Amino acid sequence: MRERKSISARRPAAVSGRKNPGRPKHDYSKELMELVVEAANSRVLPEFLRGFAERTAEMLDAEWAGVGEIVGSRVEIYTRRPGYPANEKEREWLGQGLRRRRPGLEVFPLKRTSQHIAFYPIYASDGELMGTLCLLRKAAGFSRAEEKLLAALASHAALSMEKVRRFSQLERSKKQWVEDIDAISDYIAVHDQAWKIVRTNRSLATELGIPPAALVGEPISSLRHIAETGSALPCPFCRDTREAREEYIATSAGRTFLVSTSRTRGVTEEESRTIHVLKDITDRREAERRYRELFDSIQEGLFFATPEGQFLDVNDALVRMLGYESAEELLRADVSAHLYPTPAAKARLVSAIAERGALRNYEETLRKKDGGLLHTMQNISAVRDALGQVVQIRGLMLDVTEQKMFQSQLQRERDFNQKILNTTQSMILVLDTAGLISYANRRCYEAGYRKDELIGHRLVEWVEGSHQKDFEAALQTTAHGQQVDNLELRARRADGSLGHFSISLSPMRDEANQVNNVVVVMTDITDAALLQAKLAHAEKMATIGRLVSGVAHEVNNPLAAILGFTDLLLENPEMPAAAREDLQIILQETQRTKEIVQDLLSFARQRPTQKEPVNVNAVLRQTIKLRSYDFSSHGVEVSEEFEANLSPTLGDAQQLQQVFLNILNNAYDAIQESGNHGRIRIRTRRAEDDVEVAFMDNGTGVVDPERIFDPFFTTKQAGKGTGLGLSICYGIVRAHGGEILCWNNEGESGSTFVVRVPAATETSLAAAVKEAGR
Amino acid sequence: MTATAMPRPAAAILVIEDEPSVRAFVRAALERRGYKVVQASSGAAGLQLLERGSFAGVISDIRMPGNINGADVHEWIRTNQPQMASRLILISGDTANSETQHLLASSETPCLEKPFRVQKLISMVEKTFGKP
Repeated sequence: MRERKSISARRPAAVSGRKNPGRPKHDYSKELMELVVEAANSRVLPEFLRGFAERTAEMLDAEWAGVGEIVGSRVEIYTRRPGYPANEKEREWLGQGLRRRRPGLEVFPLKRTSQHIAFYPIYASDGELMGTLCLLRKAAGFSRAEEKLLAALASHAALSMEKVRRFSQLERSKKQWVEDIDAISDYIAVHDQAWKIVRTNRSLATELGIPPAALVGEPISSLRHIAETGSALPCPFCRDTREAREEYIATSAGRTFLVSTSRTRGVTEEESRTIHVLKDITDRREAERRYRELFDSIQEGLFFATPEGQFLDVNDALVRMLGYESAEELLRADVSAHLYPTPAAKARLVSAIAERGALRNYEETLRKKDGGLLHTMQNISAVRDALGQVVQIRGLMLDVTEQKMFQSQLQRERDFNQKILNTTQSMILVLDTAGLISYANRRCYEAGYRKDELIGHRLVEWVEGSHQKDFEAALQTTAHGQQVDNLELRARRADGSLGHFSISLSPMRDEANQVNNVVVVMTDITDAALLQAKLAHAEKMATIGRLVSGVAHEVNNPLAAILGFTDLLLENPEMPAAAREDLQIILQETQRTKEIVQDLLSFARQRPTQKEPVNVNAVLRQTIKLRSYDFSSHGVEVSEEFEANLSPTLGDAQQLQQVFLNILNNAYDAIQESGNHGRIRIRTRRAEDDVEVAFMDNGTGVVDPERIFDPFFTTKQAGKGTGLGLSICYGIVRAHGGEILCWNNEGESGSTFVVRVPAATETSLAAAVKEAGR
Repeated sequence: MTATAMPRPAAAILVIEDEPSVRAFVRAALERRGYKVVQASSGAAGLQLLERGSFAGVISDIRMPGNINGADVHEWIRTNQPQMASRLILISGDTANSETQHLLASSETPCLEKPFRVQKLISMVEKTFGKP
């Protein structure tokens, strides 16, 4: 074609109704009819449109004609005469014109070529612009008839385009539908009233190994072998043809199908169709069966429940666990009220699930059918809907009653042991085999030991040096698996003082039966040891007392005869002077013996001769006065720390004075012996129920405080004393119901004597007065 | 040294004492002062003599073997011969004994503590029984 460089759209030529009288050669009506016939026969749009364009060009004497079809954003141009548009520019220009939405004819002159291009839009019946009819011709003007023809042609084109489009759309969707049906893996078979197959999908045909079309027209009964359902009807899948829909499960040859049937009623009998869909649910059924088997055979309780806690499904284990006869019984609506011992417990569970979604190891006590309590541990999860609302809860429940009981028993035992450990008066420690303390019971801390000086330290550090070897040996013995009982040794108390302890060591073994710890039970038996010593002493003294009393009595008889006959001999005037002198010696020694025996009897005396109120302070002052000359002349200082208003004691003032004098004499002698600047402190006080007198001197101290009160135990040189002085004191104080003690001062020289006699009470005073009045 | 030897027959003193040496000494001391003495070596023998005859006084040891001791003698006299109750002197070898102490305190009976001097015996006898 010729070259057209530019097209000017500046001034469209007026579409005039000018006639074009020189063209009578066309019979527009006839040609239009031919077009309609052509269009009706054409199912392929491009071909039709190309023909349509050619005819349009002929009918309107155009050099070129084309139909632009708007397909989305593109414009497809159909024409039989190529050559226009020649280049990109023309194509673009044409494209713009084809997209114009101005109704009616528009004509634009083309520069240089003196040609005109005309556009006529093609509208669909719904008013949508489908495309544009386009002509290129010399003549600028279109006659009225030509314009009418254009309008008719455009509407023809629109009709054809719409028809073809609808048809191809139908074709496409039909094809798509078949494909969709074929894509379904379930078997689909459609039959009519005459039990003939109308359609099957590809899955079914593939299963049978034939093309789908081959089955059409065959009797539906030919599909019987797919799934034997036992139906007596000609169709193996139909059960009740009166039903519009049917659904059931059919099992055949190891396979399970869910058969869904729909029946459509056509206008005529022939048009009625029955559609069967066979879904192979063999695997699902198997999975379900396995799941159910697991659900029912598992030993743990499983449940599905409403968010409110009402069971929906439970397994056998849960039924058993809760003591019900059957699942049905447990699923009854009123069960949950019985199940939870308190409504609060249930509310707590429900809200905990709603809040957290899942509960792990949730402990809950439930009530069994018989009312017994069941301790459970549950793992629960919530199933939520799209809105996040809990729609179901699922859980697993374990019966932990036994564990719970075991646990509480364990707890009880632990508590019991803990109580014993913490309330016993013994100190209990655990050592490792190296002797390091790893545990100490509460008693240890009550006794004053600090944690940091016990834990991690060696216990032997607390044992007195001379006993450490014994302790280490005992620890070794225990570490070798042997128990050591009642090892008595001295150890340091928390306050630093030494105490007497009884210690037992027991081995503790690990799983491998190896001794890995030693339990040490330590009891401070200092008091007990003291008491025992005191008792032993008292018993000893009582024995001596009985012995002495017996001896004294036996000695007194011969002594009486010796003394008596000596007296009688001395009365004899015929006795020579020399014999008389000898007799005097006998008499003298007999007297001395008599005194010793008398002293012994004083020691053994059981009751004071007198029982009257005695002011101890006054007796002491008198006693000190007796010795004051000696004390002051030898520079012995005596300090008196007497408690004012000291209670009186009941007894014999003379005897008590004898006791005090004896102790003072002893102190004086000890001071003289030591050469110290003498000092004697005398202190009186009320000590609980006793009146206590303490004498503290700074003399030499006592060699054996334990034996000082024994008869004839003396450290003084012969002739200075019989050794009965303190024994007599002992006897007197005992006879007064009191005690006399002696020890050497700690950290300084000298000794302390303590005399305790019971303080008089109103009752004892009244009794004494009554006794005296008898 | 029998009763018949005495210039004026007088009632004898009954000495009840199990210890022969003590009994001998008491008898010697009393007889030398002119007292007549009848001896008994046990409480039971003493009570037999007491039942049969009358005595100027009784001197009895407290602690004696056998069923009858000094306390029993005292009790017998108080019951059967109350007039003799004030004519009893007890001898004790062990006054520290609480029973003895109780007896002495309750009966107010004079007591000689062994060993005792002759002078003490004589003065107590004279005071209690009178001179021979």
